[in-house]
Amino acid sequence: MKLSKIALLSFVFLVLCVSNLQAQMKRERYQTVTTYDSAFWTSTLYAQSTTHFLEARNLNATIMHSFGIATSDVIQNLFGLDTSPNVRLGVDYGITDRWQAGFGRSYFLNVVDLRSKYALLRQKSDGSVPLSLAIKGDLGIVTERDRKPFKDDLSTLLSAVFSRRFNDMWNFQLSPMWAHFSDTGQGEVNELFSIGLGTQVHLSKRFSLAAEYYPVLGDRNAGTKNAFAIGLDIQTGGHVFQLFLTSSYWQLEQYVLAQNTDQFSAGDFRFGFNINRVFGL
Amino acid sequence: MDKVILSYIVLLFLFPVVSPAQAFKTETGHVEFHSTVPLHSFTGKSNHLVGKISLPDSTVDFYVDVHTLKTGIGMRDDDMMETLDAENHSFADFYGKLISSFDPTSSNVQKATVRGKFSVHGVSKQVMINGTMQQTEKGLQVKASWTLDMTDYKIKPPSILFYRVSDTVDISIDATLPNVK
Repeated sequence: MKLSKIALLSFVFLVLCVSNLQAQMKRERYQTVTTYDSAFWTSTLYAQSTTHFLEARNLNATIMHSFGIATSDVIQNLFGLDTSPNVRLGVDYGITDRWQAGFGRSYFLNVVDLRSKYALLRQKSDGSVPLSLAIKGDLGIVTERDRKPFKDDLSTLLSAVFSRRFNDMWNFQLSPMWAHFSDTGQGEVNELFSIGLGTQVHLSKRFSLAAEYYPVLGDRNAGTKNAFAIGLDIQTGGHVFQLFLTSSYWQLEQYVLAQNTDQFSAGDFRFGFNINRVFGL
Repeated sequence: MDKVILSYIVLLFLFPVVSPAQAFKTETGHVEFHSTVPLHSFTGKSNHLVGKISLPDSTVDFYVDVHTLKTGIGMRDDDMMETLDAENHSFADFYGKLISSFDPTSSNVQKATVRGKFSVHGVSKQVMINGTMQQTEKGLQVKASWTLDMTDYKIKPPSILFYRVSDTVDISIDATLPNVK
């Protein structure tokens, strides 16, 4: 009787060992908390910075265009496409996953701008951080021959971008911003304030609608209007193409605040086209 | 009757008993794939390869949650997850047998061949994969590489605007599996 018990226990032990080793492992998903760094698809909506960040060692090349007013002399100017566009060529580089820097050059006034952005907060999928916050700075330098001293060719933009991804479809952001121009003309002010608003609605993995608005608060340059843009973004994996209508000729936020004289709601808008291409280095 | 039982017990202990020390497992293996598009190529990596090898019965079992694969560009990762239908088919896995001989007492690099079922995108195929195995102080080190044809697994290579991803993807794994205690 005793021997039979030992035999039984030995058999059970052997079966357990063998079955434990032979059984296929249960497939279990890797659990991780993700941050919504790519809730917005690009580092800028159409001119307004977002909380999208390049991953470390990624380079983003951008070509940004905005053409002439699309609604005047429609046939002669082919919806403004015949009018000389303002084009900004630029690159941004992800120094870390939270910090990127770049530079660009705009055709108008030959403005060269240096910019950097840092992620202070990144919204997390588990809700422990409910929103993203980035700070951004941009230094613009007019390089056009204007017979001004260098110090009068400078403009600065500082902003804080608060954003939230509400669900798979909808992101919204609010950007208090301060712009400063070292030299201004008659009827212009040195400092401008705004609380920029931006949103993106993802229609699918490929397409999204986006809009941005720049209500200037306090003193403003004579004759300027609050800028607005709305458009369609197309994402292909490495490229993001942006097709939009905008009131402003400019792709630099400080100039959008200071120079926009067209009222979108009155029909004064132009066609814009941006190409973003990310390279992994 | 007791003699029969006694004989059985003796046989049990004479028979090579499966020892946990001959099983190896990791959850931090490295897997990567290399894919090409015109004028460009990219690599996806994960350090969350889970693997288990049992030498007594020669079973080899590996899987990776495809969500952990990163190419370095977030939007491309999103694209890849869509292509792989990762929500419905979260794992790429292999389950099969070691069909080559392996000497666990040797610390030399030894060639190894496994045969079994590789599954991804919800499609399974019988495959034979060559690699190497080596007993090290940290455990059993396994390296292998093979080429996967995405069309075999009903994966439609993305083809959008300027992109046409090659049908074939080079896959490699590198994992050290500690002894199962």
